[in-house]
Amino acid sequence: MNSVSDLGSIVSRSLHDTLALSLPLFRPELCLAVTVVLLLLCRMLPVLKMLDSAWVALGGAAFALFYAWSDLRGLPGWLGGDALASRQEIFTGLLVFDSLTAYIRLLLMAFLVLYIPFTKVSGIPDREDGADFYTLVLGATLGMCLMASANHLLMVFMAVEMASVPSYALAGLLKGRRASSEAAIKYAVYGAGASGIMLYGMSLLAGLLGSCHLPTMARQLAGLAGAIPAGNLGGVEMVLVLGGLMLAVGLAFKLSAVPFHFWCPDVFEGAAAEVGGFLSVASKTAAVALLLRIAFGLGMPVAVLPGADSSSALAGQAAALQGALLGDARHFMVATIGLMAALTCTLGNLAAYGQNNMKRLLAYSTIAHAGYLLMGVAAAVALSGSHPASARTAVSAVAFYLATYLFMNLGAFAIVAFLRNALRSEEIASYAGLIRTSPGIVVATGVVLVSLIGLPPLAGFWSKFLIFSALVEAISLSAERPLMLVLLVVGGLNTVFSLYYYLRVLKVMTFDPLPADRPGEALSLVSFPGAIVTALAVPVVMLGIFWSGLYACAQLAGAFAS
Amino acid sequence: MMSLPMLHNALLVGAMLFSLGLVGILTRRNLIVMFLCAELMLQGVSVSLVAWSRYHGDWGGQVLVIFVLTVAACEAAVALVFVLQAFARTGRLDAAAWQTLREATLPRVMDSKLPADDTLAPSWPTLSPAGVLPPGDPQESLQREHV
Repeated sequence: MNSVSDLGSIVSRSLHDTLALSLPLFRPELCLAVTVVLLLLCRMLPVLKMLDSAWVALGGAAFALFYAWSDLRGLPGWLGGDALASRQEIFTGLLVFDSLTAYIRLLLMAFLVLYIPFTKVSGIPDREDGADFYTLVLGATLGMCLMASANHLLMVFMAVEMASVPSYALAGLLKGRRASSEAAIKYAVYGAGASGIMLYGMSLLAGLLGSCHLPTMARQLAGLAGAIPAGNLGGVEMVLVLGGLMLAVGLAFKLSAVPFHFWCPDVFEGAAAEVGGFLSVASKTAAVALLLRIAFGLGMPVAVLPGADSSSALAGQAAALQGALLGDARHFMVATIGLMAALTCTLGNLAAYGQNNMKRLLAYSTIAHAGYLLMGVAAAVALSGSHPASARTAVSAVAFYLATYLFMNLGAFAIVAFLRNALRSEEIASYAGLIRTSPGIVVATGVVLVSLIGLPPLAGFWSKFLIFSALVEAISLSAERPLMLVLLVVGGLNTVFSLYYYLRVLKVMTFDPLPADRPGEALSLVSFPGAIVTALAVPVVMLGIFWSGLYACAQLAGAFAS
Repeated sequence: MMSLPMLHNALLVGAMLFSLGLVGILTRRNLIVMFLCAELMLQGVSVSLVAWSRYHGDWGGQVLVIFVLTVAACEAAVALVFVLQAFARTGRLDAAAWQTLREATLPRVMDSKLPADDTLAPSWPTLSPAGVLPPGDPQESLQREHV
């Protein structure tokens, strides 16, 4: 009898937790899920076949964007208020809703709303494939939203797989092309291996710490570090380091960080440019958010929020004490992330030099940008122990970078896709003399590529500036001074390296002679493709001038790191 | 609850399965065997997760295992589609047959033990294709030469 009433109370409690607390904060994801179901019905029901699946997908994404925007506006720190972390665990602690969740979700939804018209105009999923394509895209984005809000290793694994498995299928979208099949096979084999290794790392960490819930794991880790004098952990420490490194393999695969970047150029070259844009922007955004989640989840124990109960001061003190004990864990994470950042950035930029295929060049550019983002994350983790306010600034720099990166990189891939439609080629050499026939598109390319370099009047400059200033702050304040100094030097040098290969594309477009067999104007700005390119290039210019509004949002996202 | 020696034994079995899978995926060239090895890695993880779960006396690890099995099935389903597609295209399951995408400056990996040419045309059951027949590839001539 007793057990029955226990069961009843458990059910009613979990019902309350799900319906009253969790689902209202989960509306953007619910919109995506409903749209996926609708798209699948589109495929089955003859009545709905009249509907173009792109508009169904766009409608769902627009609803999701609206809810994501209202979630961000609903945060306590909105419009100059006190940007306190508004942390709320939902679905019994599996997910967490806070300012980072809201911000990344908004970015992903904004990406979808720009991406769906782009694919509609560029025509890569034709009407026959449209429903499948948008189902996969929305499903993967749903997984990416979960990556940004994961608070439990189970959710980390599920979210990474939910984002990866549709991406494998997307890479093989061009069924008629051999290169596309090859890209899909390589991606799937690499991804299966990486996820297996990540999962073993998770089992080691969760087994030793006795929990999969990230804040609980941080508390257990602090307990382990406090119980045994420093440097005397022996075997346990080694297994923890091994688990952490294996977990890092999975994350590095998603981020395409060196030395787990090998899939990236091949997949980007083999898959359609549209799919490359999706993998490069959305997947990267979510992976950086997941890295921040895990690094801060394991490196900084969460204090009970002020105002929750009277013992909050005590809880805050306990969290600060545990935070001090986790210094070694943070040092390990900063060293791993920092080393990976330096390697990723340098290799990405150097390998981009010899490329003749534009998609391959953009793949290496993506790898290099992952390196800059990792530098920001390393600075944030290094600062989090001693200077929480500076750590928040560093996280905001990363968040700002992700937002500008969305426009720059999606713009670059859109230009590649439209020029492919016009010229039937993706080789850089085929862009020769484009300025004589279609000057508008060359100007747009110039804006996007110069912003990717990070030169002053454009949005890319501010994002690089913010990352580097976070590194400078980490040099002066944190204990990781030598590594941060190395990262700053590597980052600066790499920005100079990257000048050459981006400008080479522009040089081919402007100075090289026009081939004789080129038919008239390749691509005008006064057309649907031109409008899409303009819609992506104009924000790059505008954010270069009016960047303070976006930075305020990014600062809100940074508040999660307190 | 489980005693410490039993935990050690179970973890050893899990680690062995995982390492066999890892070595297999790194060294094998048959696409199907590569995916079998990836599954083997996941089974190794499952064994150690169940062992940890029994040792700690909570259900978290076993719940994770159920999800791992489900995800592994999905992943295998998607991956096998690609393998089938690859086999239909080349008549081979050898990963070395797929080297079109690579750095332009690198030579392709040659294998002296590979049969010079397929003597027998591969035969497999055919289904009538669904949907519209995809048009021929206009970019085929722009690709680098095939293996």
